[in-house]
Amino acid sequence: MRHLLTAALCLLTLPATAGTRAVVQDHALPRVAGFAQAAQALDAAAAQDCRADTLRPAYQATFDAWMGLSHLGLGPLEEDGRALTIAFWPDSRGLVGRTVQRLRAEEDAAVDRPERFAEVSIAGRGLFALERLLYEPDNDGNGEYTCRLAQAIAGDLSRLAQEIETAWRTDFADQLLNAGAEGNSRFLTAREASQALYTALVTGLEFTADQRLGRPMGRFDAPRPQVAEARRSGRPLRNVILSLEALRDLALALADQPIPETEAAFATALQTARALDDPLLAGVADPSGRLRVEVLKNRIEETRAAAAREIGTALGVSVGFNATDGD
Amino acid sequence: MRLRSTTALALAACVATPALAQSKAEVLDTYADIAQAGYEDSLIKARGLQAAVETLLGAPSAEALQAARATWLEARVPYQQTEVFRFGNAIVDDWEGRVNAWPLDEGLIDYVDASYGGATDENQLAALNVVANPVFTLGGQEVDATEITPALLQGQLHEAGAVEANVATGYHAIEFLLWGQDLNGTDYGAGNRPWTDYATDAACSGGNCDRRGQYLKAATDLLVSDLDWMAGQWAEGGDARAAVLEDEDAGINAILTGMGSLSYGEQAGERMKLGVMLNDPEEEHDCFSDNTHNSHYYDGLGVRNVYLGEYLRIDGSLVSGPALSDLVAAADAGVDEALRARLNATMVELGQIKSAAEAGFSYDMMLARGNAEGEALIMGAVEALVDQTRSIERAVSVLGVDQIAFEGSDSLDDPDAVFH
Repeated sequence: MRHLLTAALCLLTLPATAGTRAVVQDHALPRVAGFAQAAQALDAAAAQDCRADTLRPAYQATFDAWMGLSHLGLGPLEEDGRALTIAFWPDSRGLVGRTVQRLRAEEDAAVDRPERFAEVSIAGRGLFALERLLYEPDNDGNGEYTCRLAQAIAGDLSRLAQEIETAWRTDFADQLLNAGAEGNSRFLTAREASQALYTALVTGLEFTADQRLGRPMGRFDAPRPQVAEARRSGRPLRNVILSLEALRDLALALADQPIPETEAAFATALQTARALDDPLLAGVADPSGRLRVEVLKNRIEETRAAAAREIGTALGVSVGFNATDGD
Repeated sequence: MRLRSTTALALAACVATPALAQSKAEVLDTYADIAQAGYEDSLIKARGLQAAVETLLGAPSAEALQAARATWLEARVPYQQTEVFRFGNAIVDDWEGRVNAWPLDEGLIDYVDASYGGATDENQLAALNVVANPVFTLGGQEVDATEITPALLQGQLHEAGAVEANVATGYHAIEFLLWGQDLNGTDYGAGNRPWTDYATDAACSGGNCDRRGQYLKAATDLLVSDLDWMAGQWAEGGDARAAVLEDEDAGINAILTGMGSLSYGEQAGERMKLGVMLNDPEEEHDCFSDNTHNSHYYDGLGVRNVYLGEYLRIDGSLVSGPALSDLVAAADAGVDEALRARLNATMVELGQIKSAAEAGFSYDMMLARGNAEGEALIMGAVEALVDQTRSIERAVSVLGVDQIAFEGSDSLDDPDAVFH
């Protein structure tokens, strides 16, 4: 085993594997472009009419597009903390609510200048700050400021999405595809590029299992449905399903050979998720509902194990360090 | 240019079987020796803190409170250097939350300013205030806290309601009890709890001074007993030492896992980058005492210690021996050279944060919205930590110790699964 892997490492003198090429061209680039379009449409909609009920469809579409690429946490999403800014979750200290409340109470003038708004705490920006404006009843009678805040958040999201799209298209795609080239200090070998994408796949599966499902599950005697991701906009289960679909697409692109076991595991996990019929994952509050969510969590963990066996081993890579290694 | 030669060396390593100057077992011995010395030093300093707390509670005064704070600050120096043992060693990781859990909703413990707010979605107990409430309800059960004991803190309050921010024990709970909330926002200044919060007579401020003293004593006693236990785990015959020596490749992998996970996900991400992006002084690791520059610095030093196989003890003596650096150099001199250079670069960046903070530009000021200099200082260190993580990944590859992850079909970042 060891000798085979060492040999495989030595044979990988090509700048990129077919899998890396497929991920860049068929997976990442279309998705970053799609998110940029959705965020731009949200920005335009907010500029035209910032009322909550009219903005909600564009908000949902932007969140859907974000779920298509949020797992690609390397490169442009990591730089300048863009992914964290777009989707600051989990928010274990309740900072989004407090920050949005403070911005509104103080009528913070940063909303009127994009370069100043870009300096505001990420808890007051991105999809989760906007969710508060669009889905929590506005009782403070400050509709005019709330409108400007919604427009500022939408504009900021669109700017971030364009930056991500440009960085992927003009720079990061080349880095992944030309490992070891002069000036490419990010990826020294094709194996490093494969490892980075494989790490994104595994990290994405872990995030959905441990955070999107694990957080609301809490402990058996202390379930916490109120912390489910994007519950205010009704998206907890939808985000789980969309993330699994995006990760399946990544797995299929990344693998250089058929991955029947992984495909079957994804199919089972997705089927289990769709059968839940519990958009808010509110079922975690009672033992039988919790069990059903736990079954889904196990299915996702099985998918991760299958991907490790079929994809990690074939590429000769293990999971690298990732941003969720901390506690 | 250096990177190109690294690539060439990496390829050369494929055809030559490197002779190992140091055996893996010797390197693991050094690693365990450093862990043992680090936890022993932490224990010694925690006992000093315990004595200072007893003095404070016996005869409360401004001087006694200040002396207790000084011992707490000293105690952080060796402890932070042990954080590199967390990830990768299940025995440490399972235990660590007892002593260094963070961030915390301090309203669980004692009085807080009105601006703190109350219960949140995430934490229904965020403003419980145990010091003021001898009896309260927890998950539908009535809890008798008329006496505040180590058992109450550890058994019932810590992570109550399965909420990680309910930190009832460890360094940061003690820090809050010694300093109080830092109400200066992103301006200069730490917490300023008056010594009279521990006064036993009519001078008592903040109410329930006796219960606050009970809490401080219970938390300090618990810290001492927890550190005593962990030092034993790394002594000859201890379980943590045995675990890393049991399988050499797994042990080497544990060292690198600890280095990479602390550098990247924990320190660069969770503790540093997130704080800047939230502009939130409560995201400081040592937020009550404004000691964050030191906690980051000694975290970084701990990573360097285990790679170079040397640790300077609190009495000035040196623990050293065959190092992981030697193993990596034997496998690929370029990878070792790059990793050593990046560890040193990180220490320079963290040193700059430390020196700026000590000169009065405190870490919370660096976090202020629009403070470009502070952001540049912190993000410089974040980038250095990210760079060093890439070198750590390369070290994992050239040593081939990630093979165990394949064999167990488990990931490098899931030490529990690898080791169980």
